[in-house]
Amino acid sequence: MNPRSDLVLDPVVTPGVLSAKLWIRRGSGCDQQGQRGGHQLLGSVLSRGCGPLDHLQLADLVEGCGAGLRCDTHEDGILISLKCRDLDADRLLPAVGWMVRQPHLSEGQIALERELSLQALQRQREDPFHRAFDGWRQMAYGHGPYGHDPLGIAQDLEQLSRPQLQGLAQDLESEGAVLALSGAIPADASERLQEWFGPITSQSPGDQAKANDAPADDASSDEGDRPSISVQPLATEQVVLMLGQASLPHGHPDDLALRLLQAHLGSGMSSLLFRRLREEHGVAYDVGVHHPARAGAAPFVMHASTGVDRAALTLELLMASWTELLEDCIDAADLHLAAAKFRGHLAHASQTTGQRAERRAQLRGLGLPDQHDQQCLQQLETLQASDLLAAAQRHLQTPQLSLCGPSDTLATLERFWMQNPLAGTPG
Amino acid sequence: MGLCHGTLTAIPSGPLLDHRTLHNGSSLVTASMPDAALTCLDFWCRGGSAWEHQGEEGIAHFLEHMVFKGSHALGPGEFDRRIEALGGSSNAATGFDDVHFHVLVPAQEAGEALNLLLDLVLDPALDQDCFDMERDVVLEEIAQYSDQPDDQVLQTALELCLAPHAYGRPILGWESSLRGMNPQGMKTYHQRRYRGGNCCLSLAGNLQADLIKQVLDSPLMELERSAAVSSTAHTNSLPFQCGRESRRFQRLEAARLLMIWPVAAAADQRAIAGADLATTVLAEGRRSRLVERLREDLQIVETIDMDVTTLEQGSLVMLEACCPEEQLEAVEQEVHRQLQRTLSEPVTAEEFDRALQLVGNGHRFSLEAPSAVAASVGTQTLWGRHRDLLAPLDDLTRWDAAALSTGVMPLLQPQKAFTLIARPEEAA
Repeated sequence: MNPRSDLVLDPVVTPGVLSAKLWIRRGSGCDQQGQRGGHQLLGSVLSRGCGPLDHLQLADLVEGCGAGLRCDTHEDGILISLKCRDLDADRLLPAVGWMVRQPHLSEGQIALERELSLQALQRQREDPFHRAFDGWRQMAYGHGPYGHDPLGIAQDLEQLSRPQLQGLAQDLESEGAVLALSGAIPADASERLQEWFGPITSQSPGDQAKANDAPADDASSDEGDRPSISVQPLATEQVVLMLGQASLPHGHPDDLALRLLQAHLGSGMSSLLFRRLREEHGVAYDVGVHHPARAGAAPFVMHASTGVDRAALTLELLMASWTELLEDCIDAADLHLAAAKFRGHLAHASQTTGQRAERRAQLRGLGLPDQHDQQCLQQLETLQASDLLAAAQRHLQTPQLSLCGPSDTLATLERFWMQNPLAGTPG
Repeated sequence: MGLCHGTLTAIPSGPLLDHRTLHNGSSLVTASMPDAALTCLDFWCRGGSAWEHQGEEGIAHFLEHMVFKGSHALGPGEFDRRIEALGGSSNAATGFDDVHFHVLVPAQEAGEALNLLLDLVLDPALDQDCFDMERDVVLEEIAQYSDQPDDQVLQTALELCLAPHAYGRPILGWESSLRGMNPQGMKTYHQRRYRGGNCCLSLAGNLQADLIKQVLDSPLMELERSAAVSSTAHTNSLPFQCGRESRRFQRLEAARLLMIWPVAAAADQRAIAGADLATTVLAEGRRSRLVERLREDLQIVETIDMDVTTLEQGSLVMLEACCPEEQLEAVEQEVHRQLQRTLSEPVTAEEFDRALQLVGNGHRFSLEAPSAVAASVGTQTLWGRHRDLLAPLDDLTRWDAAALSTGVMPLLQPQKAFTLIARPEEAA
């Protein structure tokens, strides 16, 4: 692997299970205009022939061992995941190296994956939540790195072929990669991995790009032109509402404050949105906050779906909840509860070897220290409600609204939204 | 490329189980996982939608919602607040056969979580105001599902092949049935189903020394006694209707071919293992027969997969293919051809070994997290199957390629299926 690539070993007592995660710092955020979907298409063909094996021979190897091998393209990176028995690690781990270093990229396999991606893009449109988020994403990020689904855009995908993918494959390791192993790790793993992957280091990241230096922390290409609402008319029973803002990179100094606000608003049945929308008003079943960990400006999006007759009330409740973030300190009990949820979330998210390996690969992939989560737990002790309010005021001033549902209801909601100060011209 | 193993060897031991039947007929099962940071408490009840009477359609699921609205001791929202303040989480799920309520907490907090969970589930307040509000939430949940074409296709298929059996109607019920319910009726349902012999508590994770003693002093012991009967059926007793229907669905963007077959009831675990192996031979992985032929060679489907849904009164095997509408006919013909081919070209030793590894490791990999272990042992114990966690691996080894070819593949033939062809609605 590239000299900037590194290795994390996380031995855990398991019933003979090993998880390997290879995080490559080239995701859909690196797609060029006209080639949106390129990295996802590349990721999908990496396992369709590599090293000495064609696509069927690789399937024979992996499926014959009863293992799982997949490649997922995210906004910030391509993640290759292998789960297998420790006894099979010697046979399977080299394949991960071949995928990155020696992909065949055959025309036939590219054509098949391109067609499957186009069909998947089409099928995603069945889900009104997906449509609403697509609308929000385009509005929030425009032509920026996070402005399209990692699957891509149909018109770009149709143009992608072997020459473009070869170019992307050559750059695959240009930003380095991280291999994390968790579970029953073979005793001679370090030496064998050197043999399969080339020189790798295992120290904490030092000179690598920090999260907040990463691309895409600029929310949109031009704030002045950014709309505050996006509507996707669809003949559904419910209206899907998404209210949010492109916020912060994971690891930003204010990131922990926003994560606590996420826990307060949308984590668990004690969360503010759950209590307010579901328990106090009964207007929605599924409510929450979408705030993934990203190298750039991550979405911070409240979401709910509701019947058309209660859509205005639901929007009003979402807007009121957002406004409170900007105007009021949460009380001490809520802050304490949010901190407990944050601690609980970290424990819940490290139960399996797959979860553990992925988190370790992700942290280094984002240029964050291995101890990042422990450092956050320490910072929790000193974080005040006023810190959360200040962070919200710095980063959540200009939310954007995306709606999907029956057109006449959307028109009513749009008028209602435009009268609210939150819809004011950003910037 | 050769195959790795002909048999499932070197099986490491899984978490140790301890089964107890309490004096009122309820069950307690523990799975010790000393290295786990969290403990899962999973309360199971034979109270799924299949136990509803006429006019109660949806009440099992609605009750699951109402339980979280508080008990006589815990006000609305208090349970969630207290569990989450412990760094824990909670949730519940209602199925056709059973319902379960689970809590995942740091090991040292399991005692407090146990008290909260049992109080909530066994003594729900069922307050009228909360009842009215929560009914609105359930109606929104129904509306949310009705906006997902995938769910509509599946529900339609189940209804067409299984109605009037409970497996053929939505677990969430209908708006009309929900509007006819009241707290008293729900209390009656709760008293009828949440009795000793219908309940099981499953604990998995790092179990503190006095946790079992605490269970033995808990409200679980005060449940009305009833016999712990074994599984409801050993063979499939479903009134299954074979056939073929074609429907159009609003907002479907890709066509679907859905095929459903009735197979053994959950009590016949060996037969379920056979169904798992057969569906893996057919549709799991690039080298499975259907995926290799339809997606890799002919390239006429986007996805094709098969699953076994294990149910107490008779399990179901489901096949779903997603494809462009213009390929539907070719897809259906080829699926038929491949299913029929299993009779003339039996499963090979190589295919069987591949399936054995995939299914076996799928089970092995599911034993890492306390919540998955608690769910697995909880549901098995609830239905009277006091089995070791690794017993499913033994079930797999009781099959071979020939037995799969003669014992399972003949059951999965086109004429024995119900088929739903789902097409996108025609453009106006």
